[in-house]
Amino acid sequence: MSSSVLRKTMIVLTAIGLCLAAYLTYVHYSGVTPPCSIKGNPCSQVQKSQYSLLVGVPVALIGLLGYIAIFGSLLAPDGERARLVTMALILGGFGFSLYLTYRELFTLHKICEWCVSSAVIMTVLACLAVWRFLRGEESLSTGTISLSARQSVQQ
Amino acid sequence: MSSGTGDDEGDLTRKQRREQARGERKALEQAEAARAKRRTRLTQLGIVVAIVVVVIVGIAIASGGGGSKKTVTAGSHESNATVAEVKTLIDGIPQSGNTLGDPKAPVTLQYFGDLECPICKEFTLGALPTVIQKWVRSGKLRIEYHSLETATREPEVFKDQQEAAYAAGKQNLAWYFIETFYHEQGEEDSGYVNEKYLQGIASQVPGLNLADWTSARSEPTYANEVDADAQAANQAGFTGTPSFLIGKTGGTMQKFEYASLTDPTSFDEAIEKLLKS
Repeated sequence: MSSSVLRKTMIVLTAIGLCLAAYLTYVHYSGVTPPCSIKGNPCSQVQKSQYSLLVGVPVALIGLLGYIAIFGSLLAPDGERARLVTMALILGGFGFSLYLTYRELFTLHKICEWCVSSAVIMTVLACLAVWRFLRGEESLSTGTISLSARQSVQQ
Repeated sequence: MSSGTGDDEGDLTRKQRREQARGERKALEQAEAARAKRRTRLTQLGIVVAIVVVVIVGIAIASGGGGSKKTVTAGSHESNATVAEVKTLIDGIPQSGNTLGDPKAPVTLQYFGDLECPICKEFTLGALPTVIQKWVRSGKLRIEYHSLETATREPEVFKDQQEAAYAAGKQNLAWYFIETFYHEQGEEDSGYVNEKYLQGIASQVPGLNLADWTSARSEPTYANEVDADAQAANQAGFTGTPSFLIGKTGGTMQKFEYASLTDPTSFDEAIEKLLKS
């Protein structure tokens, strides 16, 4: 996968996550009941539980700000530092998603489909971000070498 | 001619060798640089992961340990603490059947819950005490407890536990049973609710005659009450617990969407609105 395709994939995933977080932030502040296909609407219960706030700040809003930061870092000019910042932000979001999923499963014993969707996106993003950071500009440099090798063979 | 050509070839070979050696050296240097870069990246990744782990563990600890809950045995230190807490909350407030509060209170709140539902526990231990202190104790609000099966997996267990609470209502002590149950609620889906458990809850209700309570549990009234609650919840379109209906006592009840399980503000606003109307 080329650097460009990888970055575009991550941008699309982040945009979806951003929309999810924006909707959950709206749900929190408006008090509306989010649609949920599971019996008993656990989504609403999770959204209104004590774990929907962290030091008084809605976790949905924290998620929204996180996705905005990730989005911004992905739009920044590609480079070693930008990839590091993107990876750090995404791993932070991934860790936070893990914590929230733990609270859903082991404290509230409820699963919110909206939260799980965001957690899945964050997990995929974390894998892609680590891969993108560790491989660096490998694909680009490999392409340059193969081009120069082709040129020398032709000479 | 031929030797000249041989010299040229020899020169070319030496040149090629030098080029080759230079190329190999360059490749080695590049490989070493790539390895160093990779090491740096791995170190950076390790640092980021370590920071994330520390922050998340910190958040988890700060927001309250784990989720495992144990069943409380009657007479234990924890049980005594629960009994004292429940007494402080509702002692002196009139009770009748499944209702807490003055029967003439102008506003009625119907609370649809499942005794095994942890979200109901969060509400019962979160926003409800303030609502009771502020509105029920002052005689402005009465709260009816109704049953809606959500968290309890087995319908028989659900009926049994809810009927047990209503049976305590025959002695006008249902709210002691309900509050004690929520305070000592066990791990969801762990099958902790059995006869011994219900007896244990009942034995912690101050003043409850256990023999009368046991015989009342077999009366069909309470089973019918649980069925009627299910129908009422269905009519209101409730699928989750806790759910609420609110209205003027004796008047039409309306669905109430709470904003928080722990912050009573939305309850306060709804009650105030009804009192003013």
